[in-house]
Amino acid sequence: MTRRIPPGLIWVAPALLVLVTLSIYPLLYLVKVSLTDAHGLTLTHYARLFQDHLFSVAAMQTFLYAAVALAFEFFLGLALALLVDSLAHGRALVRVGLLAPMLLPPVVAAVIWRLIYNPEFGVLNGTLRQLGINTANLTWTSGRTTAMLSVILVDVWEWTPFLFLLLTAGLQAIPAEPLEAARVDGAGYWQTLRDVILPLLKPVILLALLLRSMDLLRIFDQIFLLTQGGPGSATETVSLYIYRTAFRFSNFGYAAAMSFVGLVITMLAARGLMRLMKVTA
Amino acid sequence: MRLLALSLVLLVGCSRPGSDKVLTIAVNAGVEGTALKTAAHEWGERHNTRIEVVELPYANLFEKESLDLQSRTGAYDVIMLDDPWFPKLVADLTALPRAPDPDFLASTLAVCRQSGTFSALPYVGNSQLFFYRKDLFDKYNLGAPDRWEKVLSSAKTIGGGEKMFGYVMRAAPGNPAVTDFMPLLWAFGGDIFDAQGKPNLTSPEAIEALRFMVELGKVSPPGYAGFNAAEVSAQLLQGTAAMSINWPAWIAAMDDPSKSKVVGKIEFAPMPAARQPGIAELGAWLLAVPAGSPHRDDAFDFIYWATDAAQMTQAALRGNPPTRRSVFQSGELIKKFRAFPAQLAALQAARPRPRTTQWNEIENAFGVSLSQANSGAATPDAAMQQANREIAAILARSK
Repeated sequence: MTRRIPPGLIWVAPALLVLVTLSIYPLLYLVKVSLTDAHGLTLTHYARLFQDHLFSVAAMQTFLYAAVALAFEFFLGLALALLVDSLAHGRALVRVGLLAPMLLPPVVAAVIWRLIYNPEFGVLNGTLRQLGINTANLTWTSGRTTAMLSVILVDVWEWTPFLFLLLTAGLQAIPAEPLEAARVDGAGYWQTLRDVILPLLKPVILLALLLRSMDLLRIFDQIFLLTQGGPGSATETVSLYIYRTAFRFSNFGYAAAMSFVGLVITMLAARGLMRLMKVTA
Repeated sequence: MRLLALSLVLLVGCSRPGSDKVLTIAVNAGVEGTALKTAAHEWGERHNTRIEVVELPYANLFEKESLDLQSRTGAYDVIMLDDPWFPKLVADLTALPRAPDPDFLASTLAVCRQSGTFSALPYVGNSQLFFYRKDLFDKYNLGAPDRWEKVLSSAKTIGGGEKMFGYVMRAAPGNPAVTDFMPLLWAFGGDIFDAQGKPNLTSPEAIEALRFMVELGKVSPPGYAGFNAAEVSAQLLQGTAAMSINWPAWIAAMDDPSKSKVVGKIEFAPMPAARQPGIAELGAWLLAVPAGSPHRDDAFDFIYWATDAAQMTQAALRGNPPTRRSVFQSGELIKKFRAFPAQLAALQAARPRPRTTQWNEIENAFGVSLSQANSGAATPDAAMQQANREIAAILARSK
């Protein structure tokens, strides 16, 4: 008796081939490299991870960066979406203006902000001095306490439009009837927002948080161009540390181990959010 | 149709030179690379060879070259490399077919050789110089900054009397901080390694050197803990800082009216002394031929030509410090470049960074600790303890 190949398999075979070639095989190779050193198979790279103080610092700072940036981007994006949605005229024009930072390549955005942040010659401190503010201690990306906030600000400036876009689409998909019913029942704006709009927007909110948090955990461009992880290791992140370990120190095994652990953590976080989305649906 | 075919043939013919010979050169994005690019195109025209130039910033240049050499892809025929990279890359370079001639300065040849075999030629004779505002030193009757203590006191005097900072330095983590710290470390009698090759940054001399660097930071612009070469040079060019360690590549800019507000006011001196005479860090750029290059004969022909006296004179006129004594002593060039005598003296006495295959990782760990001390995140003692531990761990892992 011959087995029939499921007809659907033939149709998905090209996509499967691409997936295996570009995702599965590189992942398996990554794991292999992470378990290998000059002497053969080993777990020393993973053992080193748990003793590596700089990796711990980088991981904590990556989570801090992601959490703070995500919070700012979400609340600002939501506020802008609600505001623009309430406009009677000019919505399209305002949307285009708000999306402009997101259209810039991340490298260009980082270079622009590097110039803005220059303590002596940058426009930020220059403007503050014009307003009579003493900028002697405002060193932004060079300051131990201000460096992390400075790079977060660049990310918020650039990627809030992304959340704004997603949440705007979500708001426009909300049917008019529940809002009308709430108005008829005498609910005010904040009550409607809390009890009608936000619950209906929840799936889109979770999707936006999921997409953005995965990007934030991988952050590299801004840090590389603005601070190189400094001053000291104040803005060191996992991606930057992996890059440096692989390409400056040529330690591919340890970089692969860090990459794999980072992948597992990101997948766990994404799975948690996706479960929340399913529960909500 | 025939006309179209003929046009296509002509177009294809015009877009390619009359030869299939090609030479690919990896250069640093900067003055040094610019001079080499110009020389390479000139050589290409003479030898009917197409030159492909890959120009990359410092960090990316190392990564690309390192990957190409390790995997022997043969992507590059000639590479520019900074001298500290030499120990790591030498195993994948081709030995020179003939030894360099004695006109090259000994300090620059020393970093092109391992186990007696030369595998590179020195192209850019970079060693640090001490840049200072001579006009302000004369105004306040300060003697030349020949000692670090005098540098600090002069910085305080000038900073107090003028609307500017007395000193500026590179202290961003990694290469920038280490580069500016090494002359201080050596002047105070310290070094990264002891005579047995063990990390020695917790010595009293080394800690004192870092404490002094932090003191210099107090008369430097805010945010110096994140400064690299561009920020330091901008401060000097704009006249907002009075002194700095810097590289000869910036000399031309200091006297260029289109870039500088301090034309003719900056003087170039040897490194200040402390317990020991001042020593500049060597930063020579070398030319080498990867073992995987498919055009080795042409590549060697090019690098010997590019480093001969005539070509090196041309490169010097384009802003590259030479590595040949005869070029430094050329009357024509001394008239044009007032800093040449100081550069020659500094280069002859310059010291290279420690010759180890782990230098990149060591420099990174050391640079992070230096940056932490300068940003106030760690005391000098704690920073040096941390650096010492991490360097010891790096060396242990490499065995």
